[in-house]
Amino acid sequence: MKGFADSWEAARFRSRVYRVIRDFFLDRGFLEAETPLLSPDLIPESAIEVFKTEKMDLSGRKEDYYLVPSPEIWMKKLLSRGSGSLFQISKCFRNSEQSGRIHSNEFSMLEWYAVDRDYRDNITLTAELFQELSPLAPLETRRLFTDPFLILTMDEAFLRYAGFSLGEKNSSEELRRELNRLGIPHDESDDRETLFNRIFLSLVEPSLPRERAVILIDYPAFVPTLARSVEGTPWCERWEMYIGGVELSNCFSEETDREKVTAYYDGEGEEKRKNALVPHRTDRSFPALFHRGYPRVSGNAMGLDRLIMALSGEEYIDRVLLFP
Amino acid sequence: MGVIKAGSIDNSMFIEEKGDPYSVVEREFVNPGKGSSFVRLKLKNLKTGAVLKVTHKAQDNMEQIDVEDVASQYLYTDGESFHFMSNDTFDQYEVSEAVLGDKKYFLIEGNTYKVVKWNGETLDIKLPPKMDLIVTEAEEAVKGDTVTGATKFVVVETGLKVKVPIFIKEGEKIRINVDTLEYQERINS
Repeated sequence: MKGFADSWEAARFRSRVYRVIRDFFLDRGFLEAETPLLSPDLIPESAIEVFKTEKMDLSGRKEDYYLVPSPEIWMKKLLSRGSGSLFQISKCFRNSEQSGRIHSNEFSMLEWYAVDRDYRDNITLTAELFQELSPLAPLETRRLFTDPFLILTMDEAFLRYAGFSLGEKNSSEELRRELNRLGIPHDESDDRETLFNRIFLSLVEPSLPRERAVILIDYPAFVPTLARSVEGTPWCERWEMYIGGVELSNCFSEETDREKVTAYYDGEGEEKRKNALVPHRTDRSFPALFHRGYPRVSGNAMGLDRLIMALSGEEYIDRVLLFP
Repeated sequence: MGVIKAGSIDNSMFIEEKGDPYSVVEREFVNPGKGSSFVRLKLKNLKTGAVLKVTHKAQDNMEQIDVEDVASQYLYTDGESFHFMSNDTFDQYEVSEAVLGDKKYFLIEGNTYKVVKWNGETLDIKLPPKMDLIVTEAEEAVKGDTVTGATKFVVVETGLKVKVPIFIKEGEKIRINVDTLEYQERINS
């Protein structure tokens, strides 16, 4: 039978999941990191609103601090100092994401970085982790963790569910024309990413198969991220995994070219200054981390509350949290 | 009536879409990695009971409708509709089973509920997020392939089947989440 009888079971189940994860990465020589939850500056990410707080000295002088929306900033600093492959189970905080069936403002994340690996290698590693976790799943859902992933490129997914090739039609004008054809309302002020997201979220994401874990791979490079872009193509080296239609993890071949990181940083920083509800300080020294010796690395961030939901068959995040 | 940003819409609000009244059944925030955030809404048409799924940018405008709540006693069901009577005016209202959906499992004859009225039409009823019901049938616990511990099914006074921990007995009162129909806790009285 799927699901938990009560919250005590959910709590015990979580620690079993964490133990499997720890053993998995420690056995493969990863370093377990524990990095600060409070940070004086963050990586600018225009889609994420953060929680702001203040640090105070005895005289009452205050300095702004923020709760991290992910441990990425710290883990990339450790990589630049030569940590090698590393992982972390960490709390993350995202403001303004109203709680719902699959959202909580405070949530748990597994984030790992595999050195000398790219995003495709990380699919294999994720599949191995799923094999280790699969005995925890009840029989009804176990296949999601043991069967091979269904790997679908973003281009294939658009062809299949929106009826056009995103590789061929991806300018703002072309996306507007497709939105009109598909009868999806949109707005004059929508930028290219928003137009893309309207189609992706209305037609593509809801149609992804649910009976298997799906890897949606090769995202459009015009959506700014710190994923490495593939020269001469409209794509970047990024995948997201969906289980039962729910986004579970986000994986990149990490961009390590200092100029490209700086360009991303400046673009997203500008976006933040214009639109953020909670503006924050950004770490200007971040792009400088990407020195000549910075390793080739692939990072994956996986929502642990959602992983526990998928493993147990629970459909509401409240059912896996002790204090929802 | 008023304009509301899609990002501010919450469960159990009432909105108008293409001329029809809808209740918000499910609201999920979507943050597609980068760029604007979106909300995915599951709406129920309060004329037909049909479910509509829409995705909006959080900044998109939608029409919220002002509804009136009328405290009313639940009278009976004729199998297709559920009948209520206003506590004040004794006017009678009818809500179809298609619109009511699983809310029917929380109706007890003689109890008072909020009937939702809009433009003279009866749309729906409103329920609190959690309600307490009495267990009327409790089967023997069967050890199954649960994730860890043991659960069993019981039936409550309205006919709803609920999964509960094995210690729940017939005659006891349990608290149920109205949206998910899931057991929350035992109520000691």
